[in-house]
Order: sequence, then C-alpha cells, then structure tokens
Amino acid sequence: MRDDQSILYERFKTKLEAVSGECYRVNTSTEAGELVCKVMIQKGIKNVALLDASISKKGNFSELIGGKGLTVYTDNFRAVTPDAEAGITQVNYAIAELGTLVQADSDVNQRLCSTLVPIHIALVSTSSIIPTLKETMATLHALPEIPGFVGFITGPSRTSDIERVLTIGVHGPKQLVVIFVDEEVGGAA
Amino acid sequence: MADKQFKKKISDALGNDVLRGALGRFGDAYVISREKAYEGYNFKEISDNIAQVKSYAASHLDEMIDQFEKEATKRGAKVFRAATGEDAKRYILELAKRKDVKKVVKSKSMVSEEILLNKTLMSEGIEVQESDLGEWIVQLAGQHPSHMVMPAIHMTKEEVADVFSGHLNRLNQPVIAELVKTARTELRKSFLEADMGISGANMAIAETGTLMMLTNEGNGRLTSTLPPTHVFLVGIEKLVPKFEDATHILQALPRSATGQQITSYVSMVTGPTPAYYSDGTIKDKEFHIILMDNGRRKMYNDEKFKKTFQCIRCASCLNVCPAFQLVGGHVYGHIYTGGIGTILTNFVNSEKDAQNPQNLCLQCGKCSEVCPGKLDIPQMILELRNRMGEKEGLPFTQKFALDVVSNRRLFHSLLRVASVAQKPFTKGQPVIRHLPMFLSGLTEKKSLPAVAKVPFRDVIKTIKQDVKNPKGKVALYAGCLIDFVYPKIGEGVISAFNEKGYEVVFPDGQSCCGAPATYMGDRNNARKCAIMNIEALEAEKVDYVVSACPTCTHALKESFKELLQDDPALAARAEELSRKSKDFSKLLFDLGGLTPGGDGIPLKITYHDSCHLKRSMGVYAEQRKILTDTAGVQLIEMKESDRCCGFAGSYSIKFPELSGPILDRKLANIDETGADVVVVDCPGCLMQISGGLDKHNPNVKVIHTAELLLEKRKNAKKNKSKKK
Repeated sequence: MRDDQSILYERFKTKLEAVSGECYRVNTSTEAGELVCKVMIQKGIKNVALLDASISKKGNFSELIGGKGLTVYTDNFRAVTPDAEAGITQVNYAIAELGTLVQADSDVNQRLCSTLVPIHIALVSTSSIIPTLKETMATLHALPEIPGFVGFITGPSRTSDIERVLTIGVHGPKQLVVIFVDEEVGGAA
Repeated sequence: MADKQFKKKISDALGNDVLRGALGRFGDAYVISREKAYEGYNFKEISDNIAQVKSYAASHLDEMIDQFEKEATKRGAKVFRAATGEDAKRYILELAKRKDVKKVVKSKSMVSEEILLNKTLMSEGIEVQESDLGEWIVQLAGQHPSHMVMPAIHMTKEEVADVFSGHLNRLNQPVIAELVKTARTELRKSFLEADMGISGANMAIAETGTLMMLTNEGNGRLTSTLPPTHVFLVGIEKLVPKFEDATHILQALPRSATGQQITSYVSMVTGPTPAYYSDGTIKDKEFHIILMDNGRRKMYNDEKFKKTFQCIRCASCLNVCPAFQLVGGHVYGHIYTGGIGTILTNFVNSEKDAQNPQNLCLQCGKCSEVCPGKLDIPQMILELRNRMGEKEGLPFTQKFALDVVSNRRLFHSLLRVASVAQKPFTKGQPVIRHLPMFLSGLTEKKSLPAVAKVPFRDVIKTIKQDVKNPKGKVALYAGCLIDFVYPKIGEGVISAFNEKGYEVVFPDGQSCCGAPATYMGDRNNARKCAIMNIEALEAEKVDYVVSACPTCTHALKESFKELLQDDPALAARAEELSRKSKDFSKLLFDLGGLTPGGDGIPLKITYHDSCHLKRSMGVYAEQRKILTDTAGVQLIEMKESDRCCGFAGSYSIKFPELSGPILDRKLANIDETGADVVVVDCPGCLMQISGGLDKHNPNVKVIHTAELLLEKRKNAKKNKSKKK
C-alpha cells in the first residue's frame, strides 16, 4: 500500500513539476506546518490567508506561522484575500496521472484562498491520491451528490493568449506549492 | 463562388505578415505539442468514446434537455430554454435589471459572441468586461475573436500594447509578461466589483445538472466564485448524458485544443453555491442556466449535419487547416471560423453567410484526421456546396465548363483540338489554361503541362501486351489527366499489371470521373459522369478496375454510390464498381508487388502523399514498399509529406493566391530532403508540384509511381539484354 502510494506520489510530482508546480511530501502535520513556514520565509511571504482544515489544525499551523512573526488571517476572507500574499487550503484529492488537485467543496472561502492569492499552498493527504482521471470521476460520482463546486487545479494559472507565449500567473496564482502529508488526520478537508 | 469583397479580405489577410507569422508558428508548434500530449493515450479509443456519448445525446436531445433541467432545478438552479439568441438576451437583460446589475464580468463564452450579448447589455448602460485575456484584448480592440480557443492569435504584442495604452491612457511596453500583469491588475477590479458573472460551459451533464468549464487563466473560477449572480449561457450541443462520460471529453479537449494534458483549471458547477453579497453576508447565489438553440436543432435534425453535435469545440480542425493557417479567422466573416465554423455559420447565422467561406475548404481531409468528435468536416462542407449549387446555380463559366466535361464527345474533341491548337502559339508550351475544365487565371508561380500529342486512349491501342500465365483482366480507368496530359503513367500501369499476369483493357466510353463537378457543388453533372462511367467500365466483366489517380479512384469507390443511391439498378452497378476499384499502388501491393528488380542506379526520391490516397483510402505504406523494393531507389521522407500540395482540383483556379503559398511550403519541404525526384501517386499533385518545381528548382523532377517503376525496370531490362 505505502509503496503504491509512493509510486503515485512520484508520478504526481513529475506531472506537477512539468507544469511549473512545486511538490513536497512530509510525514506529519507538524512537519507540514514547519515546511509551510520555511517556504513562506524563503519566498518572502509576510502574510497568509489560512482556511483551517484537518491537517492545519492538527499541525497547529496558525500558532506555528504566527510564531515566526508572520501574519495569519483565518477569517473575513472576502476582505483579506484580494491583498493577501498567499493562501493555504486543504484539498480533497490528487490525481497522479495529471498532477492535478481536486477541490470538492462548495465553500466559497476554499476558492477565495486558492484563486485570488498570488501563491497557493495546497495541503493534501497522501492517501487521497487517485491514480487516474477516470477513477477520480468515478469517485466524485459515488459521493452522495456531486459537490456544488468541484475544481481541478493543475499548476499555476497560465495563458498563451499573446503571441502563443506561455506566461504564468494571470487571474489565478502565479505559484502553486503542494504538500502531501502521510499522517492520517481524518476528514478530507 | 467567392465574391470580390471576399477575395479582397483574403488578399488583405495574406498581406498581413504578422497574422501569417503567428498562425504559421502556432500551426507548426501545435502539431508537435498535440502529439506529445496524446503520448501513451489511444486517440482512436477516446474519439470513439466521444462520438458514442455525443451521438447518443444528439439522438435523445429532448430527453437530455429535460433531464438536465430537472436535475439542475433540483439543485436550485433556474433553467431557461432559449429558442433564439434574442430570447437569451432578453432573459439576461431582464434578470440584470431585476437585480439592479451595474457591472458584468464574463469568462469565456463563444455563445455570447454568437448572439452579440455585450452589445445588448452595454446599450442598456451595463458595464461588461471580458476576462479571458484574449477576449479582453479583442473587446478593447473592438474586434471579434479570430479563433475559438485563442481569440487574439492574430495580434502581436506590439498591437496589444497599443490597445492597452489607448484604453488605460498610459504607455504599455510590448513585453508579454508586463502586458499579462497589467491584465491581472485591471481585470481583478472587475471581478471584485461585478454584481453579475456570465460564463460559457464546455459540457452540460444531463444526469447531474452539472456544468463543466475548462480554463487556464483562472477567470472561470473567479467568475463562478465572486459575483452573487451567475448566468451560464450554454449551447444545447454541450449536453453529455452521464457524469462519467465527461471523462472522454476531459481527456481530449485540452490535448486537442492546446496540446495540454489538462488545463490549469477544470471547474464543475452543480447548482448555486454560496457567495459573498455586498452586505458581507454569505448565502447561495442567484444561479441561472440558459440552454440555447439558435438554429442548432435544425442542424442536428438534418441527417447530413447531425454529427456536428459531436464537436467539442477544440478547434484542432482550424489548427491543421492549410487555408486557415494562411488567412486566419476574420476572413470567415462571423464568430465561428475555419471549416467547422463555416458549417456552424450556415445554421446559426445564415446560408448566405456561409457561401463565401465554404469555398476556402481544400477538401484535403486533414481536419477529419485530428477531429476528436469524428466529424467529417470536408464532407459536410461539400454537402453545403452542393445545396448551394442546387439552389443558386453555379456561375455561367463554371456551369458551362462542367456541362462540357459531362459530355464526353464534346469534351474529348475539344481536348484533341487543344493538343493541335497549342503548338503554333506556344511552341508546345502550356495552353491547358485555355481548356474549359481548367478555366483560366492559374497562378504565374507555376508552369503548366501541355496537352499530350496522342491521348492515352490512342496510345494503348499501339501497345502489345505481353502477359505470361494470364490470371485475369483489369479495366484501366485513366481519368482526364492521364488520358490527355500524362499518358506515360498509363503505360506504367499496363506494364506493371502485365507482369502480374493481367491483361489491361481500356473501355473507350470512359470520361471524366465527375470530381470537378462534385467539388464545385454541381451534383447533376457529377451524376451524369457517374452513369457514363459505370456503363462504360462494365465492372461486371473484369476482375479489377484500376485507376492511377486517387481522386478518380475515390469517385469510383465512393462518390458514384452516393450519387446513384436513389436508383436501385444503377446503385447495384455502382456498388460492384466500388468493390472492384482500387488505386494503382494498392492493387499492385495487394497482388504481391513486382518481383524485385530495377536498374540499380542510385536514385534519391522523396514521396508526397495525395490527400485522397492517404486519408480517404488509408494507402501510404504500400507504395513506399513498392518503391523501395526497386533496386537503386532510396527514399528520404520529407516533412509533412501528407500535407496538401494546394492543387485540390479547381481550388488552384479559384484561389491561386492560397494555392500558391501552400505549394511553396511543399516545395520548401522537398528542397530540404535533397532528393532528385519527387514521387507521387496522383496526377493532380504531379501537375501542381512539377509546375512549381519547374520555376523554383527545375533540377528536381516529379514522377508518378507507375512511371518510375516503368522507367527503372525498363532500364534494368535494357541493361540485362546488353550484358547478354
């Protein structure tokens, strides 16, 4: 099982990196929190909109990040996300075949914290990796009902609308950082 | 026929170096990235799946719409069925007024372009902002999109910078990264301030009432997240039966559209989701879905055009179209461009609007090869052409020419007169342009062959056929070019099949296959030609009917059957003819090819695939095997060997300005190989390419496979007898 998961993780990582995303894997939620702090400091991010969920709660992200002297917004997202320097959200699934994250959640804050911000840090449980697109569609279909909003995210926002030159970061994030967490914390998001 | 104004648009487009550069570069890169994106995936299987689910939806359209409405309504959406664009616009306008909407932000919707929605909303004082970067550029420039997927592909960064500078009243440098940054900043305000969002959808799932959108920029996500009122404007062709059926389209659309494995974002929206209202509260948004017909049903109810429902709007047909690559989208006149666009225009705009652009189709079939929805676009365009021809009639000169062609005695006596008449005036040089079939006005870029002194129908009578161990009889269908211009090819055919043990007969009553009439939209004359040849060839009396012109072979195999399907007796004979007809290389290969031979003299050849032989008959390996089995022959493949040479029958007469550059590209690809000889299996391609090479690089010759075999083996025999 763990070996399978590792193969899927590697496949995901290769695909994500091919579309300019950054990919990490850690053991515990606490390690994830420490990695988030490191990434923020490295990138010079001073503040972040954190949509708390199982991984970030278990890893005490709020205190951890705040403890580094960085600002953490945990509510009032409509007001803060247009100017926040980054957003942290937890997503439901990841598709190994494509390097794709899957948000299956009608909560508007999930999208505000992952779309308006220039840098999106996405947390995902390693056990939620699904091998293929086909199986992902079947998984979504098997839910009690199709969630009001399902968003696939594959790398940062991009355009080639001017002279077919690929440019990263249009309306959505310019950077996407994905952190897989092996520790089972329960609750998809 | 293309009118003057249309011709002017073409010449303007051709004169636009920026456009041609951008389209050319994209076209080249597209082919490679598409191929890469499909690596490890079975394109045929994916497209079979798409055709299956979409054709199911097309034939159960009412059921699909009912189910979608029921499911979406169950989830809280308000669904409105708009019969026309006017209905859709009225609905949106009333909703906007009711909700006191001041600002609208749009993610990409071709349907809204189709019905000119922005104009309606803006005339009521509502601010409308396109948010897809390409759409926004085009909106600011006051233009229409020139491509379904890449609306501003016709513009340079300098032009974009000018448009931005004008709009924002400050100088924008032509640096793409900076221009994108400007768009982000400017449009961000629109997203945050908009009180209504309008989106298009790539799919509407009947089973769950879900709408799916594929975007790269993130504007689709923002439009479905921020404004408290959201309207989806969806054409009824977007319906897909089951949720998991979407998988097939998700597999194909990004790969075929932009060569991506998946777009950056795929958004699936089912019913209203919570949104922030201006007072800061979060509650379910006002959510509307408009399913629009606007001429579509007429198209899907028409047996010949039903398959357009299978189109997923990837625009790959545009990206590989040699004509589109030269002229771009704006020449097509309306919102939908390229081959598929011409068909859509015919139904959502008017037949009249499709009349000019339908002429642009070369009938090369490249688009069908890459279509993930399995649409036969050239066939549908031909159907449009035929209907227009029947309704409006062809211009006098064309009609006269085609009447002549379908009258064998008149046509052939004119050709014979031409072969004599050409001499005093042109010292044996070209006069084919004075013949009715070819009309006039061929490009100055290429020279034309002279009409043969002795037509093949007379040559064959002088050939002594030496058949050892006779196995049967082959009727040779020569077609006009071999009969009257290139009789040598016919000699090659006879020699090859004699060697295989077949006597070759030439039924005298044969005449033009009717392809010129077919491709100009004159079904009547095409039908006359079909009957004349079926009666002349008497397929019942021979083992095979062979043609060394793939366009003619296609007529014998496919067109005759279709033209005569209303007459059971003739249809049966057409069927028999179709079954026995084979193109030269295919038949020779199927009979086991020739025994290894050839003079062994080194000859570097390159091969050009004819559109009909490669794409309608699937023959491309056979002739290569036959050629390379000939001692001394070395095959060097050219780039894009199956790209149309630009002849396309009457196309080179209708549009020499397009046929010319298409030919130039072929010539450049030939140059690159360094070959001594270009081998073809189609006399039309032979005429086009040798005409071009004659002016461009006269050292390289063009030769038909049958003739090359004849030459290489005749020499071998001579050498052998010398040695003895």
